[in-house]
Amino acid sequence: MNQLTLGGLSAAAPAGRSNQRALAKQRTREKIVAAATVLFSERGYEGATIRDIAKSAGMSTGAVFASFTDKSDLFAEIAETVQAELHRVLRAAQEGREGHGAIVAMLDAAAEHQLGELALFQAVMSALWTPGLAERLRRRLDRRPVLALIAASVREEFACAEGVTRADVSLVSEMIWDVSILRRAALDGLTLEAVKVRIGDQVGTILAGARRG
Amino acid sequence: MLDAARQLFEDVGYEEATLRDIARRAGVSVGSIFTSFLSKSHVLSEVMQERLADLYADLDRLIPHLRGSTADRCRSMFAVHYAFEFRRLRLFLAYIGAAFEWSAEPTLPMMGANPRLRGMVLDCLAGGVARGDVRPDVDLDLVADLIIGAYAWNYRRGVADAADAGALTALLDRQIGVIFDGLAPDRA
Repeated sequence: MNQLTLGGLSAAAPAGRSNQRALAKQRTREKIVAAATVLFSERGYEGATIRDIAKSAGMSTGAVFASFTDKSDLFAEIAETVQAELHRVLRAAQEGREGHGAIVAMLDAAAEHQLGELALFQAVMSALWTPGLAERLRRRLDRRPVLALIAASVREEFACAEGVTRADVSLVSEMIWDVSILRRAALDGLTLEAVKVRIGDQVGTILAGARRG
Repeated sequence: MLDAARQLFEDVGYEEATLRDIARRAGVSVGSIFTSFLSKSHVLSEVMQERLADLYADLDRLIPHLRGSTADRCRSMFAVHYAFEFRRLRLFLAYIGAAFEWSAEPTLPMMGANPRLRGMVLDCLAGGVARGDVRPDVDLDLVADLIIGAYAWNYRRGVADAADAGALTALLDRQIGVIFDGLAPDRA
């Protein structure tokens, strides 16, 4: 442990010019990402321009292009963060729970998390359907870690259920995850609690079918 | 104007098309577009409504001839949907993408909410209750939502994996199988 601490210190110690430059570059990226996150949330992918983002971050468009190859690159970085956070939220909700209970806890947490940042989530979802942009985004957004969490709980649920299931775990896991992505049409006028109840009932229906299959 | 818009969305894509382009292709002034439509997403919504009228005319003819289990009747209805939408996949994907746009005008009909489809699935499920292969205590509204959600989500494979209508129909057939297994009356 001592060695690890020492290693970390020695790496940080020589605050040379190249290190400062890297730090400044990192700060610039963070500023751009923060400004872009707000604008993409407010205006969607198409509505937010690089010019607006640069202006809002207090820099030139050239400075933005020095950090990101184009708007889709910048958007993908934000979408990656959105996905990583969602994964973290799910993992925390799953901890200490099993099977059906863990699945419901994960989807409740996901619904709560999505509603907290709904505009940004909707911008990402909209982009995932836009031909051209979607292909680029999907290359960088890996659904598998999230699906693996769900699949682990689905497997657990079936192991303790009485009936033997023939239903494919990955098919069921994907169906469950799809239920948790909040569509505007499904959300219409519902409160968070009502959304959770609805998602919970739908998961119950899927699991009941998978158990009997 | 709707014809011009539909052609333009198919040719250059929804994202690229502007209201000005639509006006030019329709041979009308930009001003007259704005007196008829609130926005580009409003135009898309109207284009889709008009297109769906053809689909539902086909389905109205087909549905009385469907036979077999409720799950199979349901599968047939969605197979027709996939075959239809894949003829103009680009247009349909733009429509789904727009359904997530939070900034869409609240006065517009809700994108992604399709009352005709919903009614059709609900009728099919109610038929199942009458036929005896769907339990009477099932929340039909909830199940309709579940099936329609699965149907719509599968399209993303049309984008991501270049899946065709047949592949999506096969996938939904399995998903419908899982869902209906849970709706069947208890085996005595």
